[in-house]
Amino acid sequence: MANYVYSSSPHIKSPRTTRRIMIDVCIALLPACIAGCVLNGIANPAFPELGWLSFMHLAICCVTCVAAEWIYLLCCKKPFKQIVREFDFTSLVTGLLIGMNLYPTSKWYVGLLASVFAIVIVKMLFGGTGKNIVNPAIAGRIFAFIAFGATLGGTMYFVNPSNNTPLPVTSPVSHGSMTGATPLQVLLGSAEAPANPLNNWDLFLGTGVAGTIGETCKLALIVGGIYLIIRGVLNFRWPLVYILTTGVVSVLIAWVDNTRAFSTVNSGTISIAFEDALKVFLPSILSGGLMLGAIFMATDYVTTPNTKLGNYIYFALLGILTAVLRRVMKIEVVSFVILLGNILVPLFDLFIRRKPFGYVKPEKKPRVKKLKSEPVSDEKAVAKEGK
Amino acid sequence: MKTFRGGFHVPDNKELTATAAIEQMPVVTDYYVSLSQHIGKPAQPVVNAGDEVVEGQLIAQASSFVSANIHSPVCGEVVGVVQRKNAQGANVECVHIRSNGKQDKFAYPKLSEPTPQQIVNRIAEAGIVGMGGAGFPTAVKLQPKDPVDSLVINAAECEPYLNCDNRLMIERTQEFLQGVRLIAKAINVHNVYIGIEANKQEAYAKLLEQEGVIADTKEALQNRQEDDIVVVLLKKKYPQGAEKTIIKACLNRDVPVGALPAAVGCIVDNVGTAYAVYDAVVNGTPLYKRLMTVSGRGIVNPKNLEVPVGTPLSAIVELCGGTTENTTKLVSGGPMMGFSLVNLDVATTKTDSGFLALTDKEASTVLPTPCINCGRCASVCPMRLMPMYIDFYTTVGDMENAIKYGALNCFECGTCAYVCPAKRPIVQSVRLTKMKAKEKK
Repeated sequence: MANYVYSSSPHIKSPRTTRRIMIDVCIALLPACIAGCVLNGIANPAFPELGWLSFMHLAICCVTCVAAEWIYLLCCKKPFKQIVREFDFTSLVTGLLIGMNLYPTSKWYVGLLASVFAIVIVKMLFGGTGKNIVNPAIAGRIFAFIAFGATLGGTMYFVNPSNNTPLPVTSPVSHGSMTGATPLQVLLGSAEAPANPLNNWDLFLGTGVAGTIGETCKLALIVGGIYLIIRGVLNFRWPLVYILTTGVVSVLIAWVDNTRAFSTVNSGTISIAFEDALKVFLPSILSGGLMLGAIFMATDYVTTPNTKLGNYIYFALLGILTAVLRRVMKIEVVSFVILLGNILVPLFDLFIRRKPFGYVKPEKKPRVKKLKSEPVSDEKAVAKEGK
Repeated sequence: MKTFRGGFHVPDNKELTATAAIEQMPVVTDYYVSLSQHIGKPAQPVVNAGDEVVEGQLIAQASSFVSANIHSPVCGEVVGVVQRKNAQGANVECVHIRSNGKQDKFAYPKLSEPTPQQIVNRIAEAGIVGMGGAGFPTAVKLQPKDPVDSLVINAAECEPYLNCDNRLMIERTQEFLQGVRLIAKAINVHNVYIGIEANKQEAYAKLLEQEGVIADTKEALQNRQEDDIVVVLLKKKYPQGAEKTIIKACLNRDVPVGALPAAVGCIVDNVGTAYAVYDAVVNGTPLYKRLMTVSGRGIVNPKNLEVPVGTPLSAIVELCGGTTENTTKLVSGGPMMGFSLVNLDVATTKTDSGFLALTDKEASTVLPTPCINCGRCASVCPMRLMPMYIDFYTTVGDMENAIKYGALNCFECGTCAYVCPAKRPIVQSVRLTKMKAKEKK
């Protein structure tokens, strides 16, 4: 007699597994990775080695993340075969994301240290997959940012769009302007407009914009995001809410600031106002790490609320914080905002709960006004007297 | 197309038996008729070892208000009352009957123009229980405490693989509709709906051909006669056939948490139950046979069978050509809510809508991994619970919080566990919590 599997229902299950989801995320990240390497290598004729450096960073981070996870599990006395069998690719996603957050010119050990920090301290020490309270990749990026400064241990290059020659930039303040906030800052009046400002197409395609490996080409990021949406891994609402809120709030801030962009509002017509709004809106959503953060990092399952309402509020909050803090700090804040949001997630889950189907509101008990001095009831009085 | 919120489209695999005509199960030697085939107290046996019984004879009597009569499925001799495992794995008392090959039949007198009370009495006599799976005595259900204005016939059959209701509606359309009208008469309602899932187009067309049956369209509803039955086409989605979801889809009423459908003036009955009512009232035949789908890719010849209650599954599987070598799981009932079996040494009951032999490709044997908090379980839950928390709190042993997140409101449809990418045993957690809560009481 054959031995049959005996278990609780249901007896059939969807073919989707955690591993499949994570492989999908890796595939979705590939276009941005390739675009990052190619754009940094080919598009910068003066520095062709930047492409290879980008690839090296990605490789170092991926290998380190997976190795760190496996070594940690080996130290926990888990048999190697089991580790390989249960490998769910989450650490590979973390590795890719950390690599994408580095600059091609960063020192080689920056990615390595950030990966070890992300996997060992942020992920494994909290219990591994699904138990981390903040996104390991975000934590890794911030670790690198704090440990090595805004330049992530490298020399920065600001590409001069007029002749495509990179200009080394080392001051941390210019980091924000480098990754693309320049047009925004110009609009906000906090920086002088360069002779040839970057246009929105350059920001969108990542051509002529120096930045981190994965952030530059928004088109590739969006392609990856659409792949995830089609595969049913990502809900299109959440990145959309985040990105749109950031854009809209940026426009509002610009309006409040009464900047040059809106100097025409008072005299001009509505259509001019709309054009001006677009001038702020597009650069603010196309610049910096917003796309990467909104599509791939903020939407990490583990560190998002569990209810629809909670998610709407969460992503809108991220958007507002991003726009406001960008204005205040004058640097790219997406990763810090996501980190802050991650920490707040348990609160969302604590206070926002779904009402079950057919939920009946319990009748409110009429509140009894509490008297300051409780009158002694008859029985008690009798008991006292008896004593 | 009408439906409810939540749920998930589970591949239905109905093509295996969708066109297989109903076949009769031939007589076998041994029958083990369980005394608790319903919710409530086990029936009290009224026969002794050595007694000779005929097909349809009462062998056990309802022992309380919520209980049901049980009749002999075959002519033969009572060997005795034995302890046997049922599909759920519990020990139950069964009447062991050995057939003697005679053809005698017992039937109650036929009722031509029955009054509502007569119908209810006959349903109680005939031992009819809800044949969708729960097995709640129908006579009790048809005497609700709350006023009732609607009857919904659950023809969704949302469980994958199963086709017995589908075939019944195709092959015995008129009898089925007559049964529906009898139930409506018994509870005195004129508002009758049949909810049918969109994957049963043949049965849907067949029902609409009949007199006094209209589709759920605006024009048809405008010309509605008083006693017309409305057939509502429902979106193909699991669990469309759960009581609360089908009421939501057909009548757009929300059954309150913890309440019965009668609380919103509605009674839900299964297709098989309606047919059994017809059989009992018009032919006087008590309930001792039911339709079963024997399917799954592990069965050599999948069939729809009319099986006497108490037939050992091994005989049924033998009739269907046995199981293939790569069969990894045996399931009594549907794949989503059925019970997995250790072996074939189990007899059928009134509530078994199917028997499946699933191959290694169909049955999931992936081991659970940690929850990644993706929220899919919550998005598909028809009760709008948050299963991830129920599973989490049960796993860490915090029953109070598991109950707080609605473990007791769950009806164990299993959609959450189906979609879970981490393959968490969520339904198992819910059951554990329910058990612990019961123990505490």
